[in-house]
Amino acid sequence: MQDEVEKIIEIKNVRKIYRMGNEKIYAVDDVSFEILKGEFCCLLGTSGSGKSTLLNLMAGIEKLSGGEIIIKGKNIHKMNENNLAKFRQRYLGFVFQSYNLMNSMTALENVEFPLIFKRVKTKRRKLLAKDMLLKVGLGSRLNHKPSEMSGGQQQRVGIARAFVSKPEIVFADEPTGNLDTKTAMEVMNLIKTISKENNQTIVMVTHDRRLADYADKIIHILDGKIQSIEVIPNDTMENDPTLEKADKETAATEDNIDKMVLEEKDMSLPQIDVDSLSEIENVSINTIDGDKMTDINEKERGIEE
Amino acid sequence: MRISDLMKMGLKNLSRRKARTALTIIGVVIGTLSIVIMISIGIGMNTSFRTQVMELGSLTTVTIQKNAAIFDKDGNYINSKEQAMDDNLVNQVKQIEHVKVVSPVIYRSAVMYSGKYRSDFQIFAMDYNAFKEFGFPALTYGSMPTAENKDVFLVGSDVGMNFYNPGSRMYQQKQIDFSKDKIKLSFNGWDYQMDPKKKEKKVQLKDIAIMEKSNNEYDWNCYVDISFFMDHYKDYIKTLKAEDRKKAEKALRNYDQIRINVDNIKNVEEVQDAITDLGYASESLSMYLKPMEETSKMLQLVLGGVGAVAMLVSAISIANTMVMSIYERTKEIGVMKVLGCVIRDVKKLFLFEAAMIGLFGGIIGVIISYIASFCINKFGAPIFSSIMNNGWGQNEVTKFSIIPIWLPLLAAGFAMAVGILSGYYPANRATKISAIEAMKSE
Repeated sequence: MQDEVEKIIEIKNVRKIYRMGNEKIYAVDDVSFEILKGEFCCLLGTSGSGKSTLLNLMAGIEKLSGGEIIIKGKNIHKMNENNLAKFRQRYLGFVFQSYNLMNSMTALENVEFPLIFKRVKTKRRKLLAKDMLLKVGLGSRLNHKPSEMSGGQQQRVGIARAFVSKPEIVFADEPTGNLDTKTAMEVMNLIKTISKENNQTIVMVTHDRRLADYADKIIHILDGKIQSIEVIPNDTMENDPTLEKADKETAATEDNIDKMVLEEKDMSLPQIDVDSLSEIENVSINTIDGDKMTDINEKERGIEE
Repeated sequence: MRISDLMKMGLKNLSRRKARTALTIIGVVIGTLSIVIMISIGIGMNTSFRTQVMELGSLTTVTIQKNAAIFDKDGNYINSKEQAMDDNLVNQVKQIEHVKVVSPVIYRSAVMYSGKYRSDFQIFAMDYNAFKEFGFPALTYGSMPTAENKDVFLVGSDVGMNFYNPGSRMYQQKQIDFSKDKIKLSFNGWDYQMDPKKKEKKVQLKDIAIMEKSNNEYDWNCYVDISFFMDHYKDYIKTLKAEDRKKAEKALRNYDQIRINVDNIKNVEEVQDAITDLGYASESLSMYLKPMEETSKMLQLVLGGVGAVAMLVSAISIANTMVMSIYERTKEIGVMKVLGCVIRDVKKLFLFEAAMIGLFGGIIGVIISYIASFCINKFGAPIFSSIMNNGWGQNEVTKFSIIPIWLPLLAAGFAMAVGILSGYYPANRATKISAIEAMKSE
């Protein structure tokens, strides 16, 4: 049934090998999977598992050692740097762990930044950037510099920047890595809401199992290999009538998470309230560090499809 | 990226590191300043040589003298030879390429009388058609001779100052106003002796024209058309002693000088060579100017070299600043690339920043150069006047540093070019920064 939806990213036998002296390190080892349009895909793994490398490969930031990555029908690693840059302008957005805002620029200017590269005229640019900042709830901080904002606010600017040019795909590398749990959840909700609104594809890298629960598809990565692929059926976007329902469900999930965050404040150890997440079917629950991974039946089905 | 956005961003980046940008700009300012000042002094020197030589006549004029000086290889005067010049030669010279106007010249000593006062001077008889071509100064009174009226007596601006009363004890002087006072002309100068039995022939001057002051030979002499001169001089010869009369008649058969006007200063030498081929020796002021200009050219080279060294140092400092700035902005460049900035734009951005450092430095340098040049002209006399005044001219040189209109434009442009050149390597480095830098967390 997923065949009806466009495959926006195809990863085929991708390999990335680093050389450390005489030793070869397989950061990404023969990985293949697909991401559908409008999907929220999460690459989940411990640090050093190769998930970030995989993201970088998908964005064309790092060079492949083998295999191919096809985004929107184009083999991005066959493009020259110029075309790749233009491709990024058109189709890709980025959210970084350390925000990577320009410190000398105001929030508004930072959001305008990718539009500058796209040669959008100043007036239109300002309008788009302002709209985007309003959407992320920073309407009152347009002219503040990153140094005058909290981490959460900075990441919202980062998100506004990533989404301002309405890219079809947004890559997010540990977008909440530098944020406290409550802010992290806010940020995640924001990403999810905006992306669902425009049916944008999100590829997020995280080591945090709880964040992965926002995803439609979770790809578990360990030592450069895919361990399992989970698809959460509720949130897949294959049939339009369910869209509204999906949104409602998302909202419900958000409520739960808020509850969870509140509860968490009282707890000394960050643990997931299993009940609050039980609405989502067939979820495998791991410890937060994600070092133990439970196999699930869903995994096999996902691969077959 | 739009060019306006690129410029905005570049300027913003420069203003982010004000101190460093300012210091680098100061380097360029010093470089530009030294180049402009050095060149301006060179130009000042050239100009002063030229004006000093020009006081002696036009630089495009070549003359063939009756008594040609003979020089040895080193340019020392050895002897002179007499050259016979007639209309035949005039016509031959006219055929030479690049020759614009040729005029035979006869000059004699003459006297002017105004009441009790007299003045001894040189009268030059030339072809009236050539007056304009030889760069005669504009008239302040009267009009130039024409085909209908050739009998105009052209007076140099300062001739009127030389009148004195020979009868008075102190040779009392008087300023004569040619436009009002009545003047009589006589050729009874120092050349020949008059027949004592005959009366000195004085010609009443009816049509006088006065020339503007021009600080050259024209100021002190009088000029007439050759026909006017011949008419009256022949009358004068009749009043001479018998033997002098023969001498004077014989002398009149040949011209004293042939003046040639060349179309361009560059062709003067060529024309002179052609005249040498005709068997005549000629002279021109360009001949004197040449060694002087060579000297000043060498001086300019030395001075320019000093400026160039300063500029080189500032170029290195621009490169250093840009390299530093790229190190600092590695991550920023990475982010820009991830956000879709084309490599060409990265390069352009850094080249623009470097160019702006150069341009700002150039502009400020030019402004300071004007101030410095003013100061040199005002206070530099003790040093420069000894170098620049060669004692030929009557007018002291007061401008030692001249900044022509093209120099500031050239200097600012050059400073900008230096900026771009020295920014080229850093900009290239910037393009090689990988987008991965953006992904590294601090």
